[in-house]
Amino acid sequence: MKHRFTLPGFGLTLGYTLVYLALVVLVPLSALILKTESGGWAHFWQTVSSPRVLASYRVSFGISLIAALVNGGFGLIAAWVLVRYRFPGRRILDAIVDLPFALPTAVAGIALTTLYSPNEWIGRLLAYDQPLGMWLSPHSPIGAWLATQHWAKEYLGPMGLRIDFTQLGVLIALTFIGFPFVVRTIQPVIQDLALDVEEAAACLGATRFQTFRRVILPGLLPAIFTGVTLAYGRAVAEYGSIVFISGNLPFKTEITPLLIISKLENYDYTGAAALGFIMLLASFVILLVSNGLQAWDNRRKGVA
Amino acid sequence: MSIEVRDITKKFSRYPALDRVSLKVETGELIALLGPSGSGKTTLLRTIAGLEFPDDNEGRVLFDGNDVTALSAYKRHAGFVFQHYALFSHMDVFENVAFGLRVIRGGKRPPKAAIEKRVLELLDAVQLSGYGKRLPGQLSGGQRQRVAFARALAVEPQVLLLDEPFGALDAKVRKELRRWLREFRDRVKLTTIFVTHDQDEAFEVADRVVLIDKGKIQQIGSPAEVKKAPANVFVAEFLDLEWPGGSSAPQSSPALPLSA
Amino acid sequence: MACRLGTIAGKELPEAMAGVTSFPTTARVERPVRATAESPVIRAVLISVVFVFFTLFLLLPLFVVFKEAFSQGVAAFLAVFRDDATASAVRLTLLTAVIAVPLNTIFGIAAAWNLTRFHFPGRSFLITLIDLPLWVSPVIGGLIYVLVFGANGWFGAWFIDHDLPIIFNTPAIVLVTMFVTFPFVARGLIPLMQAQGTKEEEAALSLGANGWQIFWRVTLPKIKWGLIYGVILCNARAMGEFGAVSVVSGHIRGKTNTMPLHIEVLYNDYQYSAAFAVASVLCILALLTLIIKTYAEWRAEQQLAEAARHTDLSHKP
Repeated sequence: MKHRFTLPGFGLTLGYTLVYLALVVLVPLSALILKTESGGWAHFWQTVSSPRVLASYRVSFGISLIAALVNGGFGLIAAWVLVRYRFPGRRILDAIVDLPFALPTAVAGIALTTLYSPNEWIGRLLAYDQPLGMWLSPHSPIGAWLATQHWAKEYLGPMGLRIDFTQLGVLIALTFIGFPFVVRTIQPVIQDLALDVEEAAACLGATRFQTFRRVILPGLLPAIFTGVTLAYGRAVAEYGSIVFISGNLPFKTEITPLLIISKLENYDYTGAAALGFIMLLASFVILLVSNGLQAWDNRRKGVA
Repeated sequence: MSIEVRDITKKFSRYPALDRVSLKVETGELIALLGPSGSGKTTLLRTIAGLEFPDDNEGRVLFDGNDVTALSAYKRHAGFVFQHYALFSHMDVFENVAFGLRVIRGGKRPPKAAIEKRVLELLDAVQLSGYGKRLPGQLSGGQRQRVAFARALAVEPQVLLLDEPFGALDAKVRKELRRWLREFRDRVKLTTIFVTHDQDEAFEVADRVVLIDKGKIQQIGSPAEVKKAPANVFVAEFLDLEWPGGSSAPQSSPALPLSA
Repeated sequence: MACRLGTIAGKELPEAMAGVTSFPTTARVERPVRATAESPVIRAVLISVVFVFFTLFLLLPLFVVFKEAFSQGVAAFLAVFRDDATASAVRLTLLTAVIAVPLNTIFGIAAAWNLTRFHFPGRSFLITLIDLPLWVSPVIGGLIYVLVFGANGWFGAWFIDHDLPIIFNTPAIVLVTMFVTFPFVARGLIPLMQAQGTKEEEAALSLGANGWQIFWRVTLPKIKWGLIYGVILCNARAMGEFGAVSVVSGHIRGKTNTMPLHIEVLYNDYQYSAAFAVASVLCILALLTLIIKTYAEWRAEQQLAEAARHTDLSHKP
C-alpha cells in the first residue's frame, strides 16, 4: 500500500471539506448559473444593459474604484504611521483599523447615515447658517455659482449642504468599508522592510524624500495594488452599509445589489439571476487580478 | 581626508556601547576596528557615517578638521558598505551603482552619458562588466558585495566605511575579496575604516589596527606593533598571544607598549 | 586590471561641508534626523492626518451609535429589549449563530488540517474556493439560496410540498449565514497552521499517537488563540449579517427578523433611538472582537518570541 501522507486524517477531512463546500457553495452557485442560462441570451442582455442597470454599474463599480483609491492613499499613510512611529494611542488606533471589518453592515449603515443627515452631527456643520456652510449657501457667490452646475445640484439641499442621499455619501461609506483591507495588506510589508537599504540610500546622498520615492515606494507598490484591489472587491459587493446613506435614488445612487433585490421582490428570478451572474463574474475577475498581482510581485523580485 | 572622533559616548541600554572614544585616522590610511561582538566597533563606524549620533554635547566627529557632528548621513558624503549588501532589490545592478549619481540634487547632477560612463568603469573595476542588467536576487553573495562597493565608490566619497563587509560570505569568497581590496588600495589610497571581528582579515589589509572592547579602545598600532606588544590581557587573549606576567597585569587600558 | 576611477584622492571638499567651520566645543549641537526617519515636521503632519482620518471615518460612527442609543435615556434603552419584536429578533440571531458558528468551526478546522498538512493537486484551488464568500456580494449569497429553495427553485417545490418551508424562514436564514461566514475560521487557521509546520505532529505520530490524540494534544494548544479569534469573528459576522439574510427572510416582524433586519425596520419606522439601541449591542460585540483580536495577536507574538528564545540558547546576547 502506497503511503502518500504521513499524518492521519486526510480522507476524513478532505471528505468533510468537499461535501461542505459542495452543499454550501457549489450547488447554490450552479443554480445561479443555470437559472441565468434558462432565461435565454436576449433576455439576459436586455436585463444587464438596461439604462437603470447601467447607471447602477457606475455607482457600484465606479464609485467603488474611487473609494478604493482613496483608501490606497490614506491606507498607505496609516500603515506607515502605525508601523514606523511611536505615539500615545498607537495601539488603540491599530486595533480600530479592523472596526469596519467586524462591525455589522447595518449598524455602519445607519450610523453613517445619521452622521451625515441634515441637522445632525456633520450634517449640522454644513447647514447654511453655520460658519462652514455659509461659504456655500445659495446666497454666497460660490454657492450661487454652484447652483448653476449640474453636478453640484444634488449637494445643495434646502437647509444646507447634503451628503446623505448623494454619491459623496456613497463614497464615504465605501471608503469606510475598504479601509482595513488596504492597511492590513500594506502593514506587514512595511514591517519587513530592511532598514539598512534606507541607510544605504542616505549614505549615497539621497534625501528622505528621494529615498522614499526611489527605494521604499517601489517595494511597497505590489502590496498597495493588492490592498486596493481587495478594497475594491469588497466595495463592489457591499450592500448593508450603502443602502441607508445612498437613499437608493435610481440613476443616481442605486447600487446593483439593490436592483437584484428589487427584481426578486417582483418575482423576476431570471432577471435577478442575470444581474447576479454579472456581479459574480466581476468578483471573479477582481479575484483573478488580485492573484495575478501576487504572482507578478513574486516574479519581479528576481530568482533568489 | 582625515577623520577624527573625540569623546564619543553612546548608550543603547544601561551599558555604554561607546565610552568616551577618541581616534584619529590619517588621510589615505586603512585602519581596522577589531573586537568581539558588542564591543562597539560597528557603533563607532555608524557614528562616523552619521547613522548614529553621540549622546551628549561633548562628542565630535571631524572630517579634515571640520565638525560634521551635526550633519545627517546624507550630507556627510561617506561611502558605506553593509554586511548584508543592502542592495536595492527592485533595481538592476546598473541602477544600483548609478543611484548615488542620480540623486544628486540641483544643477550638480552629471549628464546621463557621464553617469553611464562612470557606472561602466566601476563595474569593470569590480570585475562585473556585463552584469548591469541583472537583478541583485540573481547574484551570488560575493558579486552582490562587489556591486555594493561599486555603488559606494560611484559618488567619489572621501572616506570609505566598511561594516564587516565580508562577514556574510564563505571563506573562499572572503579570501578573494580581501585580495581584491588590497589590489584596489594599491591603486587608490582612500581613507578607509574597516570593521571586523576576524583578526586575520584585519592584520592582512590594515595599516593600523584599533582593538576595541566594551566601548573602549584597548590598543592602537600597526599589525606588527600590536602582535609584538599587546597592551593588556584582552588584546593578548583576543589575538591569542602570550601575556607575560600574572595578576598584576593591567586588565584593560590604552597603555604604553611593553617589551615582550 | 586597469582601474580608472578618475580623481578620488585630492578632490576638493563636497559642497555641503564647505560652509561648516569648526564650532567652539561648548556650543550646543543640534540633533540631526536619523537616516531612517522623517523630519519631525513631516512626522507630526502624518500623525495628525491619521488621527483626523481615523476620527472622522472610524470613531465618529461609533460615537453616533452609542449617543443615539441613549439619547432617550437609559430606561428607554432597556425598554427596547423588552419589546416582543426585538426580543424575538435577538432570539433568532442567537439561534442562527448557535447553529452556524459551530458548524463553520468544524469545517474550518477540518479544512485547515487538510490544506496545511497535506499536499495534493487542487489544493490551491480549494483554498481560493474557501475565500469565495468574501468576494461575492452577500446579496448574491441570498440570491443563490432563493434559486435553490424558493418556490420556483430547484428543490423548493419538494420542501414546500412536505411542509418544510425553507425560504423566507429560519432554515434559510441559517443557511445563508453559514454561506457568508464559513471562511472566517478557516482563514484564521490556515496561515497559522502553515507557519507552525508539522514537526510536532509528526513527532507525536512517531510516538504512537493516533489522529485525534495528535489533534487534541498537540495541534489544538498551538492554534488556540487563532481559533478563538476565528470563532469570535465568525460569530460577529454571523450575528451581524444583513444583505444575505435580507434577501431570504420574510421580513415578518416578530418571526423572521434577525437583529440587523430589525434595526432596519426600526430605522425606517423613524424609531431612531430604538434602532441604535439594538445596534449598540452589536457594536459592543464588534468591539469585543477587536479586543480579543488584539490580545490574541499579542499572545501570538509572545509565543513566537518564546519559541525563538528556546531554540537560540547558544546565541550570545
